[in-house]
Amino acid sequence: MKRIISGLWDGKGFDIALVVVALGFLMIFAGLPLIYNVVMSFQKVDIFSLGTFARPFAGFDNYRAIFADPIFVPVMKNTVIFIVASIVGQFIIGFSLALFFTLDFPGSGYLRGLFLVSWVMPGLVVGAIWNWIFAGDFGVLNFALRELGLIGGNIFWRSDTNFSLWAVIIANIWLGTSFNMILLSVGLASIPRDLYEAAELDGANALQRFWTITLPMMRATIGAIIALGLIFTLQQFDLFAAITSGGPANSSNVAQYWAWELSFREYDFARGATISVLMIVLVMIASVVYVRSTRYEVRG
Amino acid sequence: MTLEWRNRVLVVIALGLAALYLFPLYWMYVTSLKTGSDIFATPPDFLPRDAKWGNYGYVWTSRGMASYMWNSIVIASGTTALTALLGTGCAYVLARYRNGWIDVALFLVLMLQVLPASLMITPIFVGFSQVGLLDTPRLAVILALTAKTMPFFVVLVRATFMSVPAELEEAALVDGNSRIGAFFSIALPLARNGILVSAILIFMQAFGEYVYSKSIIQSPTLQPASVGLNSFMGPNTFEWNNIMAYAAIYVTPILAVFVLLQRRIVAGLTSGALK
Amino acid sequence: MSDELQIELIDVDKHYGAFHALKAVNLSIRKGQFVALVGPSGCGKSTLLRSLAGLETITAGTLKIAGEVMNAVPPRKRDVAMVFQSYALYPHMRVIDNLTYSMRLKRAPRSQSEAAAKEVAATTGLEKLLDRYPRELSGGQRQRVAMGRAIIRHPKAFLFDEPLSNLDAALRVHMRKEIRSLHDRLGATSVYVTHDQIEAMTMADHIVVMRDGVIEQQGAPLELYDRPSTRFVGGFIGSPAMNFVEAVVAEDRRTLVIEDLGSVPLPGGIMLGAGETVTAGLRPEHLEISAGDGPGLHAKVDFVEFTGAASFVITRGAPGLTVFNVGRTTLRPDEAVRLTIAAENVHLFDRETGRRLGA
Repeated sequence: MKRIISGLWDGKGFDIALVVVALGFLMIFAGLPLIYNVVMSFQKVDIFSLGTFARPFAGFDNYRAIFADPIFVPVMKNTVIFIVASIVGQFIIGFSLALFFTLDFPGSGYLRGLFLVSWVMPGLVVGAIWNWIFAGDFGVLNFALRELGLIGGNIFWRSDTNFSLWAVIIANIWLGTSFNMILLSVGLASIPRDLYEAAELDGANALQRFWTITLPMMRATIGAIIALGLIFTLQQFDLFAAITSGGPANSSNVAQYWAWELSFREYDFARGATISVLMIVLVMIASVVYVRSTRYEVRG
Repeated sequence: MTLEWRNRVLVVIALGLAALYLFPLYWMYVTSLKTGSDIFATPPDFLPRDAKWGNYGYVWTSRGMASYMWNSIVIASGTTALTALLGTGCAYVLARYRNGWIDVALFLVLMLQVLPASLMITPIFVGFSQVGLLDTPRLAVILALTAKTMPFFVVLVRATFMSVPAELEEAALVDGNSRIGAFFSIALPLARNGILVSAILIFMQAFGEYVYSKSIIQSPTLQPASVGLNSFMGPNTFEWNNIMAYAAIYVTPILAVFVLLQRRIVAGLTSGALK
Repeated sequence: MSDELQIELIDVDKHYGAFHALKAVNLSIRKGQFVALVGPSGCGKSTLLRSLAGLETITAGTLKIAGEVMNAVPPRKRDVAMVFQSYALYPHMRVIDNLTYSMRLKRAPRSQSEAAAKEVAATTGLEKLLDRYPRELSGGQRQRVAMGRAIIRHPKAFLFDEPLSNLDAALRVHMRKEIRSLHDRLGATSVYVTHDQIEAMTMADHIVVMRDGVIEQQGAPLELYDRPSTRFVGGFIGSPAMNFVEAVVAEDRRTLVIEDLGSVPLPGGIMLGAGETVTAGLRPEHLEISAGDGPGLHAKVDFVEFTGAASFVITRGAPGLTVFNVGRTTLRPDEAVRLTIAAENVHLFDRETGRRLGA
């Protein structure tokens, strides 16, 4: 006992205790659910068997049911479109803004930071605001597009199956662009100034400097940001809940929303868990890419 | 072009970009001050003429926002406190050592950081219902949410602790302090700002949380403002001025904190996420 | 200096996983001694110092401070003070709070700790800086605070971890004297880690040269200079560094023949057969530039460096020899020179083991 106390006071015991408590908590409230998720995806779960762990084994029935579901293909297609379009949009706008703000003028730091409000706002609020902006007859977006002469009639962003997914994508790009920009700014700032000066002396113009110095030097940052973008995009749920609820007719439904709907609208927890397992595998692959692209930081 | 003119032009462009980007926020505030019929005017009025401040009071009482906001504060405070309590020590140890075990722990933490809440809620809900945690739904949300926010907190705070030289603690040890004493009197005070900023970020995140609260908390009197906002927005709603007033009340405290601490928040965020 | 042992290391080993950082280290330090630990980076000198402080635990052997075994005693109970390379001043405390930190931990009365801080400030010249924060101090002032924080403790031993390496050259020379005179005034026992052999030579009573976790040689500074026991010590102690050449014992067994260069006298009292090859160590300051023909080393000047008070002549060939020449020389590149050396200044080392040959 005395040894344990003195270890806690002077030795490694203190450090071990700190880690074990925190990791133990994480194991119980994140690790166990993760395992339980996999277990449930192989079980038959309904309202009656909810309270017991001993449920009938279902084999791959849940997986077969998911793959056979008529909305599986459209939902997956929507998920891919949502991810790719969101990441591309956030990245291109974010990178352009980051490059603009490297021009370094009075107040650039503060103004750049101000963009981040889009990222700290609750997703539900962002969704509510865009919901109103997207309104069909009285929405300010349709008004602006009409005034610019880009559209003749109003677009019913939320109720037109051709546009509902894009409505969520636009809101998500708005939400995530600022975070992309801030991280890209950090990457840009870490490129040594004298590299550009050397390239300029070697006769490279601005565009050549961008292609031969900025982009190659930013490769690790860009990799990390795209992986982070994938992770954040797959986490996006609130915007769907606030703008389209996956509708109409599942035209804006994506995997992470579908999984929730199955569990909490249809109370089919087994199939909800099954999609979760499939998507979590995808997220984990993305996060391995992320961890590897930040390995310099991780390994110190 | 002189330097001064270049700067002026760039500032004007930057202000224009910021105005365009932040327009949705502006639109929320302007709409929240209009009457129920003004919001359907064509062309829309872009200025808050004849501001209807009464919308705020009306929404606050008619939607019972006091209870929603209180629940949001309870959930956010509980989550932040628990995250900081558990995460700070963990981040400290992960910053101080370098070995295979630490790498494994760090990898686990990073992995848990990326699990989407909407996918984790199914097993959490079923598991919580089996162990009876759904009887105390706000506590259940706090526990689930802490597991979600702690990895992010650990990554951020670890970066802070790494900037505190280990030699300072060693000096304290040689000066006669214990391991625990050195942590509390040297490492913790020096990492205070980073911990504070990270805790604020966690608070903001938890304050706006939706998925867990929506799924776990059934009773409206225990639900947070995010769930309340969602139930306010029916499919055929027309009360947009009131919804925007609700949103404005909900989000303004967060925005105020962000604008005040912007520099620190941005610095803290970037030091952890990328390096 | 008394004969009482203040620090004793007996067969101390330290492993970091597979890495063997300290190998069977034996070291005795008497009360009042100023001991310098020198060696290249990674030689184990810092590990040894940190083991004394208790910041590392030794894997095997015995470590005693003031006669007590300290192997498993935490740093706070060892009663030693340490000055870190980075000074490790607590940035969130004022100078006075940095100084009195250890006393506050012992719950000393405020009046007592403040009086002690004033006294220490007077000896280290910090009187006017007591209310400042470390970030408001210059490098030299921070160094003094770090010293003061150690002095206030009246510890059993002072441990210095390269304390001067962050200072500029002029200040470093000044602080060298100051640390040594403080040591003498306080009658302290000090262990001083440095990679700078000049610091070690000028400050220490006793130098310990380490390499790869092993003590190569220890002794008084001039002893190490006059009789380096290995080729490594010969090359490490002394500046500019000792010249090493391959030499063959001549038939007459009174000279050593050095290929392409000529010959040097063979020191007496060494049992070597004709034709045996050894490594000869010739200090630059012992090589003399001689006039006219005769025995010695014949080489051509490659280039000459002037430092003002002295000049260094470097000769052509592989290896080129460095000659330390007081005053200014008129030698020009490509000029032929004859270098001579006294027999007692020729150091011989075994070609394989690097051990010193003869007395």
